[in-house]
Amino acid sequence: MSNASPDRDGGARERLQRWLPKLVLSPSCVLVLFFVYGFIAWTSYISFSDSGMMPDYTWVGLHQWSRLWTSWTWGIALHNIWVFGLLYIVSCIVLGLLLAILLDQRIRAEGVLRTIYLYPMALSFIVTGTAWQWFLNPGLGLEKTMHDLGWQSFSFNWLIDSDMAIYTVIIAAVWQATGFVMAMFLAGLRGIDGEMIKAAQIDGAPVWKIYVRIIIPQLRPIFLSAVVVLAHLAIKSFDLIVAMTGGGPGNATAVPATFMYSYAFSRNEMGIAAASAVFMLAVIAALIIPYLYSELRESRS
Amino acid sequence: MSFLHINNVHKRFGETHVLKGIDIAIEQGDFLVLVGPSGCGKSTLLNMIAGLDSISEGELLLDGRCINDLHPSRRDIAMVFQSYALYPSMTVAGNIGFGLEMRKVPRKERREAVDRVARLLQIENLLERKPGQLSGGQRQRVAMGRALVRDPQLFLFDEPLSNLDAKLRVDMRTEIKQLHQRLGTTIVYVTHDQIEAMTLASRIAVMRGGELQQLGTPQAVYDDPNNLFVAGFMGSPSMNLVKARIVEQSGLPVAQVATDGATLTLPIVRDRDALRGWCDRDVILGLRPEAITDPASANHGEGNIHEAELPVALVEPTGADLYVVTSLGGTNVNARMRPGTPLRAGERTRFAFDVSRMVVFDPESEQRIRDAYTADVASLEATA
Repeated sequence: MSNASPDRDGGARERLQRWLPKLVLSPSCVLVLFFVYGFIAWTSYISFSDSGMMPDYTWVGLHQWSRLWTSWTWGIALHNIWVFGLLYIVSCIVLGLLLAILLDQRIRAEGVLRTIYLYPMALSFIVTGTAWQWFLNPGLGLEKTMHDLGWQSFSFNWLIDSDMAIYTVIIAAVWQATGFVMAMFLAGLRGIDGEMIKAAQIDGAPVWKIYVRIIIPQLRPIFLSAVVVLAHLAIKSFDLIVAMTGGGPGNATAVPATFMYSYAFSRNEMGIAAASAVFMLAVIAALIIPYLYSELRESRS
Repeated sequence: MSFLHINNVHKRFGETHVLKGIDIAIEQGDFLVLVGPSGCGKSTLLNMIAGLDSISEGELLLDGRCINDLHPSRRDIAMVFQSYALYPSMTVAGNIGFGLEMRKVPRKERREAVDRVARLLQIENLLERKPGQLSGGQRQRVAMGRALVRDPQLFLFDEPLSNLDAKLRVDMRTEIKQLHQRLGTTIVYVTHDQIEAMTLASRIAVMRGGELQQLGTPQAVYDDPNNLFVAGFMGSPSMNLVKARIVEQSGLPVAQVATDGATLTLPIVRDRDALRGWCDRDVILGLRPEAITDPASANHGEGNIHEAELPVALVEPTGADLYVVTSLGGTNVNARMRPGTPLRAGERTRFAFDVSRMVVFDPESEQRIRDAYTADVASLEATA
């Protein structure tokens, strides 16, 4: 008996060691399963139901989806997200790369400048949106300042122009994210072997060709990361638009996220809202999953 | 007029004086190796020849023209880097041809030049690969191909073998030497490895702390070092440096070295005139391990052999040789003996000193004490 008990103790400890991590992780695992994946499933179901102001579990098949795709506002929202996403991603990458290249020229006060460019990223979209709304508001901001300074003919009213309002949102969004993209590119530029640039100089390549032919092709993984990060930020963009234009004038700056919010909470069309939410999830998943897959495969090999 | 003339070149980074007036001249077809410990300025000098670092003072002449202010691409040079510095996004062919492409050589000619160099370096089957798919030795070849394809006046190598493993390094060393002999190119080569310097160079420039210590043929630098630093740096195992005292015996200077309990007296053969002035003063003797042997393998024909019995402290067989350690003047001294010599630590044996190869240094200035005549020869050789 006395010989057997240490053995049994050791076995119990071993079992505890084996089970403890699982025990500790299981509550959060359950919470994530329920609140994330559970609600994804629930929302997907709602998009096939007859829900209006309250959830209604009557199955109506693709009825809500066909209503979504025939909706005029949804068309505007999709068009806007295309324009917004494309210009946002391209401008952020072009400006970010340009700033990174300029900052990489061993200039003085680089640390200060880098921080200045990065700061906008520390602000929430609500703050950015509100600040830019004030700044671009013709009665308060830039236009009024110019008028007060004596330039009476100055006019910049894009914020209240339904054709141009989406571009003001793009300006604010680009202002916020460019510094972050710049930091990514700067890290990439710093990782490039200096001897390679010397070799290219001896080979007789002018500076712009060194960048185009040798340096920028090596930044390909950073381009990929930047596109994925910016694309999902663009699709999720909600607070910036709410703060700046509230989706207006009219529906001029509606995007899928604001569409979903207004249909779910102010227009009592939960079914359509759920369908639009599932659609956005599908688009983001289509972007992120291949990216994560390639990243994880790379780190494993 | 020499082919490459480095004329009193200085380099300053702010307050730091990195190169303090370097004078080197080499002829066309020479293989100059800049060798020295890290931080001696050898890479800086190479970068200045390449045009990647500016020249603070002095003049750089290549084939009679001053290249001080020419852009690297216009100096008619090519460089092989330590990290190879291949362009990862281009194929091997693209890498080799990039310099020609930038010089607007037509595509067809470029292709021919690349093929010719690829054949020379036996990398024809790699031309369509990316650098990431190559082994270290293959990358090294591509880097050399990129330099060779342009057929420049001067090749610069910046520690090109230091990233290779030991076996491959020896093979590539041989190959570089063969290429040099076959193509007759002029090369400036930087390394910290004195064996690389000895095997490759037609001229060695030993540098330390931004100053040129000695310039000469490998054999001259090895046998006739200018100072203690060169003596200790070149050669492996390094030269034995032994404290001694010069005294006069029957009208001639001799060196006296303390051994355990006795005094070993070695006659002076070289630099006898200069050493007459050093009687009753302390000096440092320099003796290569191969100048201390067993009596049977000593060079009795040419050398001036002096034998003495000394205790054996340690025996180190390397296979090809047997290094026997004894104590002279308070320091361990390596002697190179025939392998298979039956010796064990603690025994006493006869050592044969080839005093005709012994050199003597001033312990304070660390400079060689040499006759006016040999000093003349050495300086002549340096400027040749």
